[in-house]
Amino acid sequence: MASPLRVMMLTWEFPPRIIGGISPHVYYLSKNLAKNDVRVYVVTCDFPGAPDHETVDGVEVFRIDSYKNPSPDFASWVYLMNMNMQKEAAALVKSLGGVDIFHAHDWLVANAGIGLKHIFRKPLLATIHSTEIGRRNGLHSDYERMIHETEAWLTYEAWRVICCSNYMVSHVKWAFGLPEDKLVMIPNGVDATEYAKGVVDLSQFRQRFALPEEKIVLYVGRLVYEKGIQILISAVPKILEKVNAKFVIVGNGYMKEPLSEQVKHMGLAHKVLFTGFVDDETLRNLQKCADVSVVPSLFEPFGIVALEAMAAKSPVVVSDTGGLSEIVEHDVTGVKVYPNPDSLAWGVTRVLLDENYANRLRENAYRMVVEKFNWEKISQQTKEVYERVLGEYSKTFWA
Amino acid sequence: MRVIIFSWEYPPRVVGKLADYVRDLALQLAKNKVETFVVTYHDYLTGEFEEGGVKIHRVTNPVKTHISVLTWVLTLNQEVERVAANIYYKTGKQISLIDAHDWHFIPAAVTLKKALAIPFVYSIESLEDHRSHGANSPFNMAIKSIEWLGMYEASVIIVKSKWMAGEAIRIYKVPEAKIKIVNPESGLWPGDILEVYKSLKGAVFNYG
Repeated sequence: MASPLRVMMLTWEFPPRIIGGISPHVYYLSKNLAKNDVRVYVVTCDFPGAPDHETVDGVEVFRIDSYKNPSPDFASWVYLMNMNMQKEAAALVKSLGGVDIFHAHDWLVANAGIGLKHIFRKPLLATIHSTEIGRRNGLHSDYERMIHETEAWLTYEAWRVICCSNYMVSHVKWAFGLPEDKLVMIPNGVDATEYAKGVVDLSQFRQRFALPEEKIVLYVGRLVYEKGIQILISAVPKILEKVNAKFVIVGNGYMKEPLSEQVKHMGLAHKVLFTGFVDDETLRNLQKCADVSVVPSLFEPFGIVALEAMAAKSPVVVSDTGGLSEIVEHDVTGVKVYPNPDSLAWGVTRVLLDENYANRLRENAYRMVVEKFNWEKISQQTKEVYERVLGEYSKTFWA
Repeated sequence: MRVIIFSWEYPPRVVGKLADYVRDLALQLAKNKVETFVVTYHDYLTGEFEEGGVKIHRVTNPVKTHISVLTWVLTLNQEVERVAANIYYKTGKQISLIDAHDWHFIPAAVTLKKALAIPFVYSIESLEDHRSHGANSPFNMAIKSIEWLGMYEASVIIVKSKWMAGEAIRIYKVPEAKIKIVNPESGLWPGDILEVYKSLKGAVFNYG
C-alpha cells in the first residue's frame, strides 16, 4: 500500500489506566502495529495525570472526557462514556482527514465503534476478549441480557471478529450465532523482554515471601470462583505432605476473606500468604522466583497469566480448560491437571520434586512463548486481517 | 432546502404531544418545498415510508433488553446515525440541517455535526427538570447532561413559549440570543420555523 494503513483503536482502557487485560493488550498490539508501518490512533478514556494527547512508542493516543457525573450503574456509565467517545472520535477522524478502519475492543466501546462505522462508512473490526455469558456462567437478569445483546450487536456489525484462542472462537460463535468465516483466531501475546529487565538480587527479594527451604507456589489472578483459587487452597495440605512450600496468592476478590479464614482453620496461615495487588516489578520478580506457577481456572478465555509465568521461566501447572488447554502441551511446556484438589496436588508435587523435569518444562515453555506468542508476530497477523478486510471493502459500494 | 427531523415519536407511534406536532411540521415543510426526512422509532414497522411528501425512516432498537429509558435511548442512537448517514450519502452529501426534537437523539445529532458538519436545531417540547419535578438522581442527571450537550452544540434552540425560553436560560444558562420562540398557534407558523432554518450559520440550501 502506498500510504500507511490508518487504524483507529477504540478501547476503554489504555496505560496508565489499567483495569483488566484489555489495556496491556491494546498497548502492545498498537505499539507493534506502529513498528510494522501501520498508523495507529488510540482513542481511550481519560485518566488523572495522563495527557489528552500524546505519542507513546509511535502510537498516537487521544484521551477523551469520559462521563464524570455519578452514574446509575456501570452499564449506563459505559453507554454515556460511548456518547462522549463517539463525539470526540468523530471530530478527530474529521481533523485527521479520515481513517481506513475502526477496531473496537469488547462491548465497552460497541456504540462508538458502530456509529463511527456507519457515519464514515469504514469497516469495523471487533476483538472479543470475554463475554458476559461466560463471565456469569449464564444470563440471570435484564442487566446481564442487555450487555449480552450489546456484545451480539457489536459482533453483528463487525466485519470480522477476532478472538484470542480457539476456545473463544467456538464460544463466541455459539454465544452470538456467528458464521464461522466471520471469526479469526489471533493469540494474545507476552513481551518476554520485560522479564529480562531488572537486576535485583532475587534470593534477597525471595526472603520477603518465603523461607530459604520453602519452595514457592505462586497464584496470580482475581480471587473469584471462576479462577479456581478455592481448588488450590484445598490442595495445600495435600502438597505439604510431600514437600515444604510457601503458597503466595497475588490478587484480590470477593473470595479473599472466606479463603483466608479457611486457611486459618486449617492451621496453615504460616504457609499461605495473601499479598493483595502488587506492582508490576514485584509481580515479575515473584514470577521469576516461583518454583511453580498454578492456574487452576474453571473458566478461562485465554490464560495470559500462564504465558507470563512461562516468559518468567517458571514451570506452570494449569487446569485443562478453555484457552489454557491450547497454550500448554502436557509434559512438554507444562502440566495439565483436572480442576480438583487431588489432581492439582499431583501436578504441583510432580514439578516440585523433580528438578530436571521442571527445568525441561521451563526451557520448552520459554522457547514456545518467544516463538508463538510474541507481539511482532501477532501484530503482523492483525495487519493481515486489516488488509484482507480492506480488500473486501474495496469491492463494496461504500468504498 | 433538505432537512432531517429526529423524533422518538411519530404516528402511528404516539407517546405524548410531540408525535402529532412533528407530523404537522413535517407535512407543512414538505408543502413549502422543503425536502423533508423524518428519522423515528418503531418497534417493528421499520424501513422507509412516504406520507404527504415526507420520507419517513423508522428504526428499531438493536438491543431489545434494557434497564431504563436512558440505556434504551443510548443504544438506539447508532441506528439513527446509520439511517441519517445513509440519507446523507444518498443525497450526495447535501443535508441543510437536522432538527432534533427533545433529548433522545441529541447524541446522534452532535456526532453527525462533528463528523459531517451538518448543523442542527434543538427543538424543545419538554425538559427533564419538569418531567422529573426537579429530581436529581444520577439517572436524571444523565438526561440533563444530554439536554445540556444539545443546547451547547445546537446552532439554534427552538422553544414554543416565552416561559420555556426562561426555563432553558434558568436551568442551562443558555445565552438568550441562541433561543428562538416559535408559537405554533401564532398564525406565522410554519413560516417562522423556515426563517429560523434559513438563519442557520453553516447550513447549505442551494445545491446547484
